[in-house]
Amino acid sequence: MKMYSKSLNFYYGDFQALHDVNLEFQKNQVTALIGPSGCGKSTFLRCLNRMNDLIPISRVEGDIMLEGMNIYDAKVDVVELRRRVGMVFQKPNPFPKTIFENVAYGLRVNGVKDKTYLEDKVEESLKHAALWEEVKDRLHSSALGLSGGQQQRLCIARALAVEPEILLMDEPASALDPIATQKIEELIHILKRKYTIIIVTHSMQQAARVSDVTAFFYMGRLIEVGDTEKMFTRPSNKQTEDYITGRFG
Amino acid sequence: METHFHAQLEKMRVKVLEMSAYAQKAIEDACRALLTRDSDLAQKVIDGDIIINKLECEIDDMTLRLLALDQPMAVDLRAIVGMMRVSVNLERVGDEAVNIAEKAMFLATRPPLPFSEQLQELSDIALDMFRAAITAFREGDPDLSREICSWDSQCNAQDVKVIKDLVNYMGKEAPAVERAVSTILTSRSLERIGDLSTNIGEAVVFIVEGVSIKHRLCR
Ligand SMILES: Nc1ncnc2c1ncn2[C@@H]1O[C@H](COP(=O)(O)OP(=O)(O)O)[C@@H](O)[C@H]1O
Ligand SMILES: [Mg+2]
Repeated sequence: MKMYSKSLNFYYGDFQALHDVNLEFQKNQVTALIGPSGCGKSTFLRCLNRMNDLIPISRVEGDIMLEGMNIYDAKVDVVELRRRVGMVFQKPNPFPKTIFENVAYGLRVNGVKDKTYLEDKVEESLKHAALWEEVKDRLHSSALGLSGGQQQRLCIARALAVEPEILLMDEPASALDPIATQKIEELIHILKRKYTIIIVTHSMQQAARVSDVTAFFYMGRLIEVGDTEKMFTRPSNKQTEDYITGRFG
Repeated sequence: METHFHAQLEKMRVKVLEMSAYAQKAIEDACRALLTRDSDLAQKVIDGDIIINKLECEIDDMTLRLLALDQPMAVDLRAIVGMMRVSVNLERVGDEAVNIAEKAMFLATRPPLPFSEQLQELSDIALDMFRAAITAFREGDPDLSREICSWDSQCNAQDVKVIKDLVNYMGKEAPAVERAVSTILTSRSLERIGDLSTNIGEAVVFIVEGVSIKHRLCR
């Protein structure tokens, strides 16, 4: 087991957004988090690399363990944690810099200066993100000139450059057209050989296509988690079944 | 919430039930034609098979459309796959009814063999199995479905007995060989109807519970 949450509660001020969530993530597996809008998927995802720390009124109870380390422990270096647990957001958010500098950014922040190392790492990351062939001749032009799908893969390359172990993705394809979406999904299949991936998606079909394990959230609670194949063919829980067969509400 | 998709799924279910009603009528009439030596009724069964075939095609189309356009999940996905299996088996039941009707037409033109009681017994079992399979499908009843599977050995045993007696009979009554062979084939058709009913029961268990009990592998 790579990472797990134990009795996790999360509050935005008085509002409790997560209730007693216990969820495990296996190494080199893709876990999809599904559930209706507002059920707490993004909140949970952001707990996994302490992105919620940035929200002043928020409060966490319970544990999140990353290979034996409690990530909410006072001793934890949050910058190092976020290197190990990278994140890709819904809207591609490249910096207004060159393609090269976008990917090199995390390395520079971590103090890397060696030019050859930087170049090698940028190339490798772009290759892993399946973007290299499309941008290798224009590494020094602005990242903002890329298409939405290319920008999202650039953000994935940027996340990969610092050699994370876990990749969190919050609806990474929801702003993309079907072809760009398919490229991201194919990429996820390849990336899981090396990384542990946790993806939030509002598309049940996407969850079914890319994930090994699916977790269904409803109103801040984890209702059911299981092998994706089982979840989408014979879920155990009635609420899960109602949600994935569109009988909700 | 009744969605457009679920209305379509219900239409498919109604179509499968319609097909099963035709298939039931076909085997009931085929058995009656055989036992009462009624060639006209047998001819009706043969002519009526086209309706069952047409319904199978319509159900195939619905299956593809629903799978492609709605990408169903969980119980909905199982219902579609399961109903397609049911319709495949109903079409074969229709074919067996035609096989029985063809033999019935031939046998009606020749002197009867002393096997009508045994055939009656076998056709009763096969028809009971089929009717129960349709009830299990209509009601979504996995318990009844499992019961049907357990009746199949009785059906097989009766078929084996009929065939053995007919083979013995042929040894003694050379002029009856052609009739006896036709009767053996009829017995085989009835036994097949038992198998096909079992398959339908298995499809019902799959729809309701999501488990496969085929070939006694996962029971
Ligand atoms: N920054 C915030 N401050 C207060 N409440 C929030 C904040 N972010 C999310 N919420 C609330 O927490 C709940 C879960 O939200 P979220 O995790 O974004 O759900 P999901 O990703 O499943 O759509 C919702 O009721 C939402 O309104
Ligand atoms: Mg969200």
